[in-house]
Amino acid sequence: MSETILQLQGIYKNFGSVEAAKNISINVSKELFALLGPSGSGKTTMLRIIAGLETPDKGRVLINGRDVTNLPPYKRGIGMVFQDFLLFPHKTVKENIVFPLKMQGKDESTKEEQYQWVSQLVHLEGLDERFPYQLSGGQKQRVALARGLVSRPSVLLLDEPLANLDRELRKEMEIEIRRFQLELGIPFIYVTHNQEEALTMSDRMAIMRLGQLEQIGDKFELYHHPQTSFVASFLGSTNAMQGEIKAVDNGCIVVDWDGVSLRAPYKDDFKIGMTVDYFLKSEKITIHPPGQKPDDHGRTVIEGRLRDTIFKGQYADYLISLKNDNEIIVSDVPTISPALRNATVSISWPSEAPDVFPADGGLA
Amino acid sequence: MNAVNPGRKLALAGQALLLILLYLFLYFPIFYIMYLSFVENTVWPFPPEYTLEHYINLLTLDNFHQGLVNSLIIGIGTGLLSTLFATMAAIGLLKYQSRWRGLLMIFYLAPLFVAHILIGISSLIFNKAILGLPGNLLSAIIANATYATAFAFLVIVAQLARYDWRLDDVAMVFGATPAKTFREVTLPNIWPAIFGGFFVGFILAFNNLEISFYNLGAIPTLPTIAWGTLRHGIKPELYALASIVNAFIFLILIILYFLLKMGFLKLDIKDR
Repeated sequence: MSETILQLQGIYKNFGSVEAAKNISINVSKELFALLGPSGSGKTTMLRIIAGLETPDKGRVLINGRDVTNLPPYKRGIGMVFQDFLLFPHKTVKENIVFPLKMQGKDESTKEEQYQWVSQLVHLEGLDERFPYQLSGGQKQRVALARGLVSRPSVLLLDEPLANLDRELRKEMEIEIRRFQLELGIPFIYVTHNQEEALTMSDRMAIMRLGQLEQIGDKFELYHHPQTSFVASFLGSTNAMQGEIKAVDNGCIVVDWDGVSLRAPYKDDFKIGMTVDYFLKSEKITIHPPGQKPDDHGRTVIEGRLRDTIFKGQYADYLISLKNDNEIIVSDVPTISPALRNATVSISWPSEAPDVFPADGGLA
Repeated sequence: MNAVNPGRKLALAGQALLLILLYLFLYFPIFYIMYLSFVENTVWPFPPEYTLEHYINLLTLDNFHQGLVNSLIIGIGTGLLSTLFATMAAIGLLKYQSRWRGLLMIFYLAPLFVAHILIGISSLIFNKAILGLPGNLLSAIIANATYATAFAFLVIVAQLARYDWRLDDVAMVFGATPAKTFREVTLPNIWPAIFGGFFVGFILAFNNLEISFYNLGAIPTLPTIAWGTLRHGIKPELYALASIVNAFIFLILIILYFLLKMGFLKLDIKDR
């Protein structure tokens, strides 16, 4: 699609014996790009390498085609929103926000003009003379964003920017940050460990684990077609099962999971007797009221006991106890009465719903 | 309203008494000297007959002015030198995570435990033989700075531990060179700590006898004058001198206290 602004080429970085980055290559254009991973996955290190706060052991960082790998942070012209906001405690809101312009030696009128522009963009009117300790969490967040954007940088990096906000505020800021990205048309690179945030906000995302890139692409692609066990289990609310392939039948495999048969599409590397990980997102399962038995053509159908219903409004989580003593969580429209606790129900899903991988690529 | 438990009341009174006794233990000798400095008969000053005679005698004492100036020079010089070293040491120690941190810290603090008289003699010999410095004010400043650095380090590192070094990263990402980062962000946040270090270094060197004495010989400072006059018996002028020095230090502490209270000075960084 549009032109590439930021390129990471074959980045390696070790801290002692810890591999924080292992052959990471990413291209980012004018989009909201999320770097998602659990803590310790190396995502913050990648952000620090882009900002110039760390130097890679190997590999290159390019911004607008220019190699900045060996430039110090203050020569890169990047904007950043830091974890915990990190506003300068001794400076007022206005001084915090114009700090990047001051460091660039901009004149007073430019500073004023840019300040007016950015404080309107992030809705910060009337807080100019306050100090950070006088601000609420949401206001600090806005000041941090304004400081990141005020110099109209070529790239904005965001390091877990919403981690310290409460739920309501987080939702509001998610929408705001998307709006800023669309209005400014620069790449936003957003590091988070919160998959909901990444899925809500990003256009594309990369998932990192142990310093390696697991998968990179469109968020729908990653969600619906994960390429590794890790991505399959990490995104969404996933039921993880494991079993042995018992049979291949009609383009499908049949997996024996502690005595329960599960169906999945056949893939070339599957063999009978192989142990596989079988991941199933809870919303891809349908729950059928007692007495209704679905057609099992091209579907996996299992009977179980409805142990509990967790009503969430738009949908409900049904906890289903199976005869093999395992439990499956089903997210479905809340049509089944909670009074039906302990009733025997059927659950089913299409054969192509699960993501199945050979078990050796397992989860650490 | 709840009735106050009489047992609890007694315990509180006991604690208050303990506190008063502790303060008396700390300050009584000092206040007694201050009292003596204003009375006529210093041998048995009860009932007191007040006089300023000792202060007048002090001011006309030989060497007093020269001693005061020298003490100030040594105090300020040592304060500056030890603050510079201690600040660099504290920043280095806190900013760069090292697994040797504990050991490095111990070596910064070890001079605290060396007897002053040993520091005095050793630096006299070292400064003369190796640095080629004869006994003079510079030599005394360098010698005092060895242990004053350790003290200042203790004060500064305790304060700086609360500074968030990620603020330095923030400044650099937003275009500040390392020098500008220090001036714009680090220093405005850590200067109270640095000032505290200077104050401690200044007072230690200003009051020091042993180290200064060995490195100065015949050059007078207030403590060496005080010590010298001892040989002719304790003169009341000494009470006046002690009172002036103590009053001066208490005054600075009180001023600092009020500046802090009124918010002109901030020792605490309210926001992380």
